Parts: sequence; C-alpha cells; structure tokens
Amino acid sequence: MKIILVDDETKFINMLARRLSLRGLDADVAYSGEQALEKAAQTRYDIAVLDMKMPGMSGFALKQKLLDQQPDIKFIFVTGHGTLDQNGVPDHFDDIFLAKPLNIDTLIDTIRQRLNPDQ
Amino acid sequence: MKRQPLIIKNQRWLDFLFHRPNIHLASFQTISNYPRIWIISILILAVTSLSPLVMATFINNRLIHKSVDAELVLQTDRVTSNAKRSMRFFLEERLNALRFIVNELPYYTLIDNQHLAKILSNLKLGFGGFTDLSIIDADGSQIAYAGPFNLEGKNYKTQSWFTQGIEQDSFISEVFTGYRDIPHIIISVRSKTAYSRHFLLRATLDTQRLMDMLSSYKTNVHTDIFLLNHSGILQTPSTIFGKVFTTAPINIPAFSDTTQVITPETNKENASVIGYSYIDTEAVTTPFILMVHKKKSDVMGTWLNLGKTFNWIIGICCLVMMVIITLVSTFMVNQLYLADQAKAETMLKMEQSQQLACIGQLSAGIAHEINNPLALINETAGYLKDLYQYTGEHRSDKEITELLDDILEAVSRCGTITSQLLGFVRQFDVQISSVNVEKLINGILSFHKKETEYKGIHVTTMIAPNVPAIETDRGKLQQILLNLINNAFQAIEANGCLDIMVSHLPPKKISIEIKDTGCGIPEENLKRIHEPFFSTKKEKMGTGLGLSITYGLVKKLQGTIRVESSAGIGTIFTVTLPVKMQKEEKA
Repeated sequence: MKIILVDDETKFINMLARRLSLRGLDADVAYSGEQALEKAAQTRYDIAVLDMKMPGMSGFALKQKLLDQQPDIKFIFVTGHGTLDQNGVPDHFDDIFLAKPLNIDTLIDTIRQRLNPDQ
Repeated sequence: MKRQPLIIKNQRWLDFLFHRPNIHLASFQTISNYPRIWIISILILAVTSLSPLVMATFINNRLIHKSVDAELVLQTDRVTSNAKRSMRFFLEERLNALRFIVNELPYYTLIDNQHLAKILSNLKLGFGGFTDLSIIDADGSQIAYAGPFNLEGKNYKTQSWFTQGIEQDSFISEVFTGYRDIPHIIISVRSKTAYSRHFLLRATLDTQRLMDMLSSYKTNVHTDIFLLNHSGILQTPSTIFGKVFTTAPINIPAFSDTTQVITPETNKENASVIGYSYIDTEAVTTPFILMVHKKKSDVMGTWLNLGKTFNWIIGICCLVMMVIITLVSTFMVNQLYLADQAKAETMLKMEQSQQLACIGQLSAGIAHEINNPLALINETAGYLKDLYQYTGEHRSDKEITELLDDILEAVSRCGTITSQLLGFVRQFDVQISSVNVEKLINGILSFHKKETEYKGIHVTTMIAPNVPAIETDRGKLQQILLNLINNAFQAIEANGCLDIMVSHLPPKKISIEIKDTGCGIPEENLKRIHEPFFSTKKEKMGTGLGLSITYGLVKKLQGTIRVESSAGIGTIFTVTLPVKMQKEEKA
C-alpha cells in the first residue's frame, strides 16, 4: 500500500509521514500540487491525502489531475476549515473530509476503510 | 433660538406617557420628543376643529343681536306711528267738533249757559273726553260756562294759554293744573261775534282719556309710552320716569315731521330703543312729543336666554371635542411611538446581529489560522510519543508519555473549539439544496459505528416511508443532527438505546425525533441549555457552544426545536423543519 501526502505545511506533512511509517504505512510527501503530479508520474499510489487549500493548485483541482494519471486512486481530504459539517460524513460525495488537527488513529482507520470498504 | 410656550418646552410631567426605558434604543428612534408632538397635535386638532365652531357661534350671536335690534326698531316704529295717529285723531276730532259748534251756532245761543250745558252733554255723548265748555270774550272774561267746576266770571287775560289761544284760529295747550288743580288740556277755537269781536270756545279735555288711549298701545310691561312737552316735562305718567310734570332725564329729540326711532348708546343693561314723534294736527301744532320707550334687555330676554343656552351647548360640545381630540391624539401618537419603538428594536437587533456576525467572521479567521499550527503541534507531539513507543527507548519513562498525552488532549480540545467556532460562522450564509434525510442520518451514524459496537448501544432508525426529500441547507442540517446525535452518544451509558424517528407532518413539515436513554437533563438546566457557553461537561472538555449553535441553526433553517427530558430516564429532542425552505431576504 502506497500513500502520498500533499500539503504546503512542510513540517506537518513530514511529521505525519514519519508517524505513518512508524506504523508500517509507506507514505511519500509532496509540498505542492505540481510536485505531487511529478511523483505520481513515477510511482503508483493507492491513496492520496490532500490538503484542501494550498497555494497554486487546490486539493480538488489536484484530485482531477491525479485521477487522469491514475484512475484507481482514492482520496482523503484534510482541511483547516475544521468543520463538523464536512467531517467525514459521506453523502453524495465519494470523498472523505477530515479536520485539522488530525487524530492519527482516525486517519489510519479512514485509510483502511477507504481501501477496503467491505471490512 | 425660537421661543416656545412653556408647556411645550417643559414636558417632564408627561414622561409617564411615552416612557423610554432604554437609552440605547432611543438613539434609533426617528422622533425624539413625543410629548411635544402630542401637545402640538392636540393644539392643531383643537384649533382646526374648534375655531370654525367658535367663529360660527360668535357670528350667530352677532346675527341674533342684530336681528333682535332690527326687530325691536321695527316694532317700536310701528307702535309709535300707531299711537301718534290715534293721538292726532283724538285731538283733531275734538278740535273739529268745537269748530263745527262755533260755525253752526250763533253767538247768542252759545252764551246761554243752559244751551252750553246741552252742547257739553251732547259732546260727551258723541265724542267723550270733554270735561267742560266755556265761552271767553276777547278781554279774557268768561262769558258762559258749562261743567262741574264753579268757574263762572273768571278772567283769563293773564293766562298764557289765553294769550296764545286768542291769537290763532285753533289752539291746543300743554297739560297744566290751572285754577282747578287737576291736570287737564285746553283746546280752543277762535271765532267772531256778529260785531266782529273775537271770542274763544274753550273745552277742557280729560287727560285720563288720553292716558287710557296711550296705554292701550303698551304691548307688554317693558314698553313705556308717554307724552313730553317741548321742554322735556312729562305730560302723562311714565312707568320709567315717574309722575306728570316731572322732568324726564332724557334729551329732547330733534324735530322731525315723521316718526323716528333712535337707539341711544348706553351700557348694555339699560340699552333701550326710543321711538318718538312730534304730534301736529292739520290746524295747529301741539306741544306734545309722543315717546315710546322699550327696554332691550327685557323685551329681548327670551332671545338672549336662547342665545345663552346655545352658548352653553356649544361650550359643552367644545369640551367633549377637546376630550375626544385628546384621546385621539394620545392614541395616534402612542401608535406612532409603538411603531417607532418596534422599528428601533429591529434596528438594534440588526446592529447586534451584525456585530455578532463580525465577531463570528473574526473568530472564524482566527480559528482557521490556529488550526495549522495546532496540527503541527499535534503531529510533533504525536511523533514524539511514537518515538518513545515504537523505538523502545525510555519506554519505562511513563511520566513523559503521560505529559505527551496531556499535550495531545489539549490540542484535541483546541481542535473542537476551533471547529465549533467555524461552525458558528456558517450560520450566516445559507445554501439551499435537496437533501435526503435518511441518507444524511445513516452517514452520521456510520461515523459512530465503532462507538456503538464498543458501548453496546442499540440504535434504531425509523423513517416513515412518505418522508419527502426536503429543500434546506445540507451543511447546517448535518451539523444539527451531528450535534444532537453526538450529545446523545455522550449521554448514553453502556447498553442504552438511541431511537431516531423521522416523520412527515403534512402538508409542509417534517419532524426528526432523537430519543436517548441517557442521563437526562435536570429541570433547572433545561431552560439554559441553549445559552452559549452553558455546559455541565466541565471536566469532559465541553465548550457549551454545541446546543447554542444547534438552536441557532434550526432557527436559521426556519424550523423549531423542542426538548423534553427527565433526569435519569432520557432526553427527546424534536426538530421540526419545513419541507421547502423559503429563501430569506438579504437585509
């Protein structure tokens, strides 16, 4: 299972990657949409964790481009607009939104659920 | 500065009328001085409505007086003319009778006393009013006499009436007493004997007869009719001026051929109308002036009383109108005041809600900015903890792990607060879309799946089949339900129940009932649960914003929320929402 984390907050994203790898999850980081697309051109990812609001390319825009490259990829959105109303409640969206600050266990649970919805 | 009447300036005493308890509210009112408006409106109404009435009354009074005066003058004129004609006729008739006698009978028969007495008795029979008759020769000696007095042989040469009478064909004297000491009038005609000597046939007239005739013209007690001579001495008794021969204290009116009426300018109480006429016969002028005196106030008493009654009625009408005007003004100004008050309240509310919106925007901005560093702290502390746990170093050092847990918990609390603040801000803009309530609830419940299994909570959702998709703001409804379901989960102990029922309330509403078997809310707290920052979860990191936001959101969605709870048994929250939410007007 390969994960790519995209956020302009470099320290935050690095820390998150390290924590995930400690838990046995292989995570790459990208600090911008462009960087993410470069990485995705070389590696195949199962799931992308995207910040909604980034300078340049936004999370949603990135999602469309990543889908063009890798149609099977799944998405989880992270947002500083820590709202309850979009807090991981799927309805007609396929996407899941998580609020900052993240709970690492919730994130991992969500990733697993996203990749294997049947479990 | 404009000077104003004292009453308009100082209305402290009117403060009770349009009392303004809230000074802040007062600054939003259009009109600041209601007591003044009240007084001005009363004044304007009073002036516009009462002045025509008062003017009409005044004019009416004037008209009444004028017509009364004219009527009085006319009446007096008529009475005077009639009395004058009678008087003139009375004198002329007798003078002509005498003239007839001296022309018809020869002198020698006239100087026969017996014959004269016969003539007198015939005159009394035919005309009346004669007292005696006598023949006086040119020297003033009385030749013959017939009558009740013993006046035979008297000489009248020195008497003024004789000197006047002997110089003219006919003569009428004033009233005088003469030798007999009884008021009488002398009329005489002059003729000639066969020897061309002048002699007088003199008759004395009874004044009583004259007085009776005059008093027959007295139509009422307020009219006085009397005769004056040219020097102002009363010739007949007057009810106003007294007996015969007293001098009447009135000016002798100027001579006129015809009947005249004058209205002397005197004070109101004695105002009177005087009619007069100089009496002349065809043959001779008389010394008499006929006076008719009518007292205005007495004669016109009825009219004036009527006027007075009328004035009283008008006065009472004015009073009643003033009362009505005051009541109407008070009512109108009060309505104005209430409307203004309502407007001011709305404006105040708008200002407050705008302030609140500003605060909301500000806190949302802050919350958003804080979330990023918060996330960094969270991950750093988490990583630190991970290092201890996963690398195995210092694993025994429990204190550090505990401290890191404290940091993580604090960060998570901050996260809750910022997310709620952001939710709070979302109250302000509404986006309407079609929402399937069932899907929404299932989504929220799936989020709590783990907790449900862990605690052994029985969750039942009963959604009536006829519930339509509703048009409302998805985000807000989601947050409402999330808040209420979260609360329920927090309240429910292990093996409790959570029932969610959605039903359609035809025609235009749906209700969502969330029922838990949790700890319930004590009655004293029920009233306060919607207050911001009211929380009983002090130790458990409650912000006290959750339900307050929920209440605000339900209101925003044009719905209502009701809570029933009993401590120890459970709580039911019922949210009622319109099926089709109306777009609200942008203020």
